[in-house]
Amino acid sequence: MIKRQIQNLNRHLPKGRVTLENLLKQEKPRVENRDGDSHRFKRRELNYLSEILPPEKHSKLRLPIIIRISPDLGRGATRISGDVEKEVLRKILEKEEEEGEDELILYRPEIRIVRKKLPTTTQYAFMISSTKGEPDERNR
Amino acid sequence: MASASENIQPTRGELLKLKRRIDLAKRGHELLREKRDALVTEFFDNLDMLRGKREDVEEKLDRAYEALIDAKVSDGSSELEKSALASSGDIEIDVDSRNIMGVRVPIVEAGEGVERNVTERGYSLQETSSNIDVAAEKFEEALKDVLELAEAEEIVRRLAREIEKTKRRVNSLEYVLIPRLENNKEYIEMRLEEQEREDKFRMKRVKQKMEREEAEA
Repeated sequence: MIKRQIQNLNRHLPKGRVTLENLLKQEKPRVENRDGDSHRFKRRELNYLSEILPPEKHSKLRLPIIIRISPDLGRGATRISGDVEKEVLRKILEKEEEEGEDELILYRPEIRIVRKKLPTTTQYAFMISSTKGEPDERNR
Repeated sequence: MASASENIQPTRGELLKLKRRIDLAKRGHELLREKRDALVTEFFDNLDMLRGKREDVEEKLDRAYEALIDAKVSDGSSELEKSALASSGDIEIDVDSRNIMGVRVPIVEAGEGVERNVTERGYSLQETSSNIDVAAEKFEEALKDVLELAEAEEIVRRLAREIEKTKRRVNSLEYVLIPRLENNKEYIEMRLEEQEREDKFRMKRVKQKMEREEAEA
């Protein structure tokens, strides 16, 4: 039962992410979720993203941006990976890039700002730690 | 503890299984608690937005009804009704869905045709005053916000339902399942320790008996 509940936590995630470039071309921009449902993006958000990113990066940004909640980092902490994804969030939060940064780690107040600006183009994912400190890839 | 002893085999294998279940339950509890926290944050952010939006809509509708009264005064009721009937064209409203942590919520977007210019509305411009144009414009403006308000209200309602469900799951893990599993674990550990003590005692007795037999021989 617990296992099933944990597995169900991430059923809302998309089967595959779509580039901003492709979504901008769609009349009704959406992705299909693992649960068979679809997730629609707001045109207004896509336009905003296309404004803050240079055009050559539109084909590199995959949406939705996944905000990974991993309890091993502490309560309310999240990770974001992907170079363009990190760049987008840093621009929104006006944050400088840190040296040797593999993942962007954001805390709840920052996530609130991001979610207010990008409610449809970001999604939460719940990560379970297989061993202490190591996120379980199966749950991605 | 008495109930814990029922249907439990006090074996090492069972203890190992139980430890794994406790570990999984604790991780599940952590994740569900994170989900609950994130849902609560989303709920309050959407609620703030909803309050602001409701005030906007009320203000815009007030202004639209004032403009409608002006139009009624200047053009008369029958002319206003004629213009309303003559007003053509369907309004396109795009209703779809998105997902917030497993909560399916609607997306309502105004399509083309919600905000039109005077020539697109369909009533005669010669027979009506500009007051009708102003009233129509203000209602169209308000309609866009009404759609956003409808979306925000439904999101808040569905998030509230999901928070309740997640809260119940977190509480059942925290106050029922995990303590029960911990109790069972303690019970098995206690029984295994007891068995170990008994085994030790038995071995000691056997050894003593063998030594005595050897001495007698």
